[in-house]
Amino acid sequence: MLPHTFKKTFILFKRKFHRSRILQIGLLSIFWLVAQEISLLSHLPIPGGVIGLLLVLMLLYFHILSIRSLALGAEWFLAEMLLFFIPAVPAVLNHQEFFGWTGLKILAIIILGTTIVIIGTAFIVDFSFYKVEKHSKNKNIQ
Amino acid sequence: MNFDLFFTYRPLLMAAEVTLIWSFLTIGLYWLSKFFHRRYKRWWTAPIVITPIILIIITILSHTNYNVYISGTHWLLALLGPATVAFAVPIYRRRSIIVMYWRTLGIGVIFGSVLSIASAWLLASLVGIDSTLRLSLLPRSISTPFAMVISGEIGGTPELTALFVVLTGIFGASFGQLVLYWLPLKSKMSRGASFGIAAHVAGSSKAYELDSEIGTIAALVMVLTGIFNVLLAPVLEMILA
Repeated sequence: MLPHTFKKTFILFKRKFHRSRILQIGLLSIFWLVAQEISLLSHLPIPGGVIGLLLVLMLLYFHILSIRSLALGAEWFLAEMLLFFIPAVPAVLNHQEFFGWTGLKILAIIILGTTIVIIGTAFIVDFSFYKVEKHSKNKNIQ
Repeated sequence: MNFDLFFTYRPLLMAAEVTLIWSFLTIGLYWLSKFFHRRYKRWWTAPIVITPIILIIITILSHTNYNVYISGTHWLLALLGPATVAFAVPIYRRRSIIVMYWRTLGIGVIFGSVLSIASAWLLASLVGIDSTLRLSLLPRSISTPFAMVISGEIGGTPELTALFVVLTGIFGASFGQLVLYWLPLKSKMSRGASFGIAAHVAGSSKAYELDSEIGTIAALVMVLTGIFNVLLAPVLEMILA
């Protein structure tokens, strides 16, 4: 009787979990916290977020975790990600030297450099996609 | 009456106030600009462009130190961690792409990383930016946590690198789309890869907005680039020394 009730409760909880965005956000945060600890303890130069990403990929791959337990939470994080960058920008206020020539030079480097990287990478990948992968007949992501 | 207790807890109360006020302001402005951007689509009304500008103006006008501001809002920055973890979902969903196109992805990651570091070095030398600042600029196109690790390793200032990383992300996410529209590209993969390599998480997020497939490739390439650059850092250190 009792195991049956446990199972039923667990299934009910799982259903609730698959529909609850906030619980999934919490779960993703817990994965990150655990990964952060792993990163600190192992002295790897890999940040916690990436260890967490690899960890979750493993759990998903071995079917320990279902994708439905994370999908809603992940969707939210990906949609609102730009908000998390914003508090880093006013850091320019701590660097008075950037309000002048140095700042303009750095801005120019960033703008030009990023444009070069975007264009260069796009062309080399496009080239490689059609030259190197020529033999694979699959065209699903053209 | 005894006010000692009040004065003992006063700093704590102030910290709570700072957190509440600045977090509310940051999130509020973000939501407002998001709403506004939906109505009036221009590159400068994008939340990632207009919100920091307004915030900077407010902090200057209210004579707030950045250290005070960040003490109240660093929890938002910390959410970049779980946000990176969240990329596991789209990557897992399209894992067949990695298996099928690992060669192209590898070529893109290696070429893009080298191009990014080389272009930053050359451009900085060209305009006469001195050594520490130049070193801090090198890892600017990979995601913040990686970039800070590498910057410290090669002798830059991690804190400055974080700022350059964010500026690169803002520029890449806002203008990457424009640049890519003009280019005669045939594959979705090339668009995704260039977003992910050039503008890390911000680019991936923007790419995800455009098309979930492009965004997935961008996220994947971003993670691979980060790992590749961490491995590259000791080599880079040797070359620079």
